[in-house]
Amino acid sequence: MHVNSESDYMLEKLEKCVELGEKMGARFVEARFDDLILRTLQRVNDVWKDIILRSRAGIGVVCYYGGASGYSFTASDDGKELENTVSRAVKMAKASAKVASLKLDFDRRPPVRSRESDIFPMKIHPGTKDLGYKTELVNRAIDTAREFGSNISNVTGMYGELYGRKLFTNSEGSIVDWNFEVIDLACRVTSITESGDLVNGIGHARGTTGLELFGTKESTPEDIGEEAGSHAKEQLKARACPAGRFRALIENELVGVLAHESFGHLSEGDSVVVGGSPLTGRIGERLGTDHATIVDYGTPNIPEFGGLWVPYDDQGTRADETTILDKGILKRYLHNRGTAHYLKQEPTGNSRAVHFGFIPIPRMTNTYFTPGELTKEEALELLDTGVYAIQTSGGQVEDNGSFLFRATRGYWVQNGRIKEPIREVSLSGNILNLLSKVEGATKDLRISAGYFGGCGKSGQFRLPCGLGGPELVIGEVTFGGKAS
Amino acid sequence: MKYENLKDELLSTIDTGLKYARTVDNEAEFELYLFYQNRAGVSITQGVVEASEGIIEGNAVRVMRQNSVSFASSSGISIDRIRRSVNEALASLRSVSIKDERFKGFCKPKKPGREGAFTSKILDLSKEELIDYARNMMKEGQEFEKRIKTVGSECSAEWGGFAVGNTQGLQQASRSAINSCEVYCIAVEGEERRTGYEFDITRERLIRTGGLGAKAAQRAVSLLGARKLNKTTVLPTIWEPMSAAAYIGVSLGQSASGQHVVEGRSPIAEKVGEEIANSKLTIIDNGQNPSGINTDAIDAEGYPQQKTTLVNRGKLNQFLFDTYYAHIYGSESTGNCSRRARATHPFPYETSPLIRPKNLEVKPGSKNLDDLIASIDGQAILIVDFPIGIFHSNVSTGEFSAVAQSVFLVENGAKKWPLQPVAVSGSFYTGLKQLLDVGSDLKTTVFNVETPTLVFDGFSIVG
Repeated sequence: MHVNSESDYMLEKLEKCVELGEKMGARFVEARFDDLILRTLQRVNDVWKDIILRSRAGIGVVCYYGGASGYSFTASDDGKELENTVSRAVKMAKASAKVASLKLDFDRRPPVRSRESDIFPMKIHPGTKDLGYKTELVNRAIDTAREFGSNISNVTGMYGELYGRKLFTNSEGSIVDWNFEVIDLACRVTSITESGDLVNGIGHARGTTGLELFGTKESTPEDIGEEAGSHAKEQLKARACPAGRFRALIENELVGVLAHESFGHLSEGDSVVVGGSPLTGRIGERLGTDHATIVDYGTPNIPEFGGLWVPYDDQGTRADETTILDKGILKRYLHNRGTAHYLKQEPTGNSRAVHFGFIPIPRMTNTYFTPGELTKEEALELLDTGVYAIQTSGGQVEDNGSFLFRATRGYWVQNGRIKEPIREVSLSGNILNLLSKVEGATKDLRISAGYFGGCGKSGQFRLPCGLGGPELVIGEVTFGGKAS
Repeated sequence: MKYENLKDELLSTIDTGLKYARTVDNEAEFELYLFYQNRAGVSITQGVVEASEGIIEGNAVRVMRQNSVSFASSSGISIDRIRRSVNEALASLRSVSIKDERFKGFCKPKKPGREGAFTSKILDLSKEELIDYARNMMKEGQEFEKRIKTVGSECSAEWGGFAVGNTQGLQQASRSAINSCEVYCIAVEGEERRTGYEFDITRERLIRTGGLGAKAAQRAVSLLGARKLNKTTVLPTIWEPMSAAAYIGVSLGQSASGQHVVEGRSPIAEKVGEEIANSKLTIIDNGQNPSGINTDAIDAEGYPQQKTTLVNRGKLNQFLFDTYYAHIYGSESTGNCSRRARATHPFPYETSPLIRPKNLEVKPGSKNLDDLIASIDGQAILIVDFPIGIFHSNVSTGEFSAVAQSVFLVENGAKKWPLQPVAVSGSFYTGLKQLLDVGSDLKTTVFNVETPTLVFDGFSIVG
């Protein structure tokens, strides 16, 4: 693959793909080029386990025909191979059109052109610093984690960066050219309790930002190491969370998982148009309390709240702010162009693919609950007695709205006061039920987006997404744990 | 590229790539991995069709010099792209001194194992045939009955292979062709929505899609009318093969990895020879099962794949290793180096080597599902499909908490009614000791675990 030596070399290739596709009979063609660099550094105890650099450069072509789509891709920019790629996409689209009974056509629109302001400003781009600079960040986090931890059996430090060019054109003559970027510094400490159980503590700082992030308050490698070490130490004395239904205060990051996993996926247009989502046909209905507002936004105020910079999706649509749930009322779904047209809504800029090897599908950008009015103290007071659940190691949701998330740690709260730490615990329930039990939200909005982790859907894994919110007080949540 | 000459072409490129690497640095040791796969897939959901076909190709290079190792990968297998990886990996080594004294070199040449079963019918599958398969499964599900509201189906066919070469003189390759399909049906009644799922995956024959749509629909409908368990308690749980496979894959599949053992994250690290499970449990990892989806002649670093007994009648027998961790542990590789979890990493060249089971097999017992249910005194929970959240469990703590969506109440030896989702939690490792029985209904699953139904005691249930 010829990469970026002349700014319009790849654009010409993409335009050729569009032209070829149309000549072969496609009604509409989209062609995109990704040229992405991914770097992963992982140190486990005193050994560097991973020093990895991945280069993802390739072209993906979507051809539309008769309300169906065909997709193909190649890692080559050889003319013959590009022709084969376009040909495969056209043939797939035509074969699919014969059996497609639900058509996802869309109207033509004026061409889109990206702008200078679509470049996210940063002081120290990760591409400008050498490997030694980045390994030192990891070393500093691990050294501090060891200082603050206790009974440590394993300490792991990780640094990740993903950046590069994304170029897009289509049959409308759109030209969208922007740079993706996300960085992540994380530390995990595993400690052994007296009874031989293993417990964890995690710290991280991340998002679309320059490396200057790791020089700011609460985000230095030392802050990250301290967080991981001290939380693992605290977990040594934590008890298992009792199983059952309790009131809950849910911390920002975990609230983000609720917004993304439990609600966001249900609002994605592809599952709505086929009736697979319980949100199908429910626009205008009250699903939650007044405290529950959820938005998806490709370009939030990252310096203030954090998050991921996604000015355009992989169909060249601007990823503007979409209010999905407005004070408890369902307002919008998250769309690609086809699902938006089918449901008579505007496209929302949510058609995304992990990289050139995958067809873009409706995915989220930054999805979060909006903040409320409570201070932390007022939130604890409102909680009264229950579980304060913090951070997360992941979550999953079913198409009926059922969810399960794991909180990395937490506290048992009694009469508005934090009483004692509790171990890793899972929260489960149904999102539609949970939204009707949101009693209040704190003032502080935080959005988190990382290199490690990421969203998985339809065989496309680890798509960076932002998620977050304030802290939420929930009337009742089912906690896993130990039944007596 | 054709299937017949795929190995020759990949090995020829390996040779060229290694020669180039030697010219850049003749003191360093190099390993080059190439992957090439033609993949076609079709999904139909309620009449919305998406189809794709493309060639997944890429290279990965590891370089070692004076106990420092680095990794770089690129999409594409042209010599230009291989050069890029070689140069990037070398640049990493040159820019920072990162020692790993435990790294003793790449895999030495050995006689390869066998490739898995192969049928050329998979190579000949056309996109129209894949679309037909998917459409027929969807139609079957939709026509099953009125309460089936949404049906989605997917079919895919892939063929390809990989080659590994290194400056120790190793140059080996392996090929496979696999086709698979899956269908899910959502049954709706009032506010209640239940999902049923069926699949087929094989390398020996063409997929059999007939009946799968109806079975998935039947399963979804059978879960309607669920009642609330309405208590927090401890009960026996009966895990049908799909859910049992998730259990085994997440627990032993991870904790038996030599990486977790060496790095202090496996709670069974010190337990070789000890009883870690009920004596009814025997588990083998079989990288040479001809029908196994992950069966190859070599693993991802070129070591021959083999058969390894992990648990023998309840006793921990052996861990899984690649060359690196085997050396640290003081053992031999078991041919378990891997670059992918098939479902989540379709671009395996991007993954640096890690240890993964190939094809886990749980030895079946003598009772079928009805007998297992009949043997229950009092109440138990029958878990039909894999519980959500189970894959987010933590290998080091072994504690899990998952929500079982597709569940039935079992009472005094009889299957009663479907239940609303229940949270199941406990410790994987305590669970293995509290295993009550192993069924005879052996099934291959999408998680590369072949298992019958397993019955456990002692897990917390919240419903």
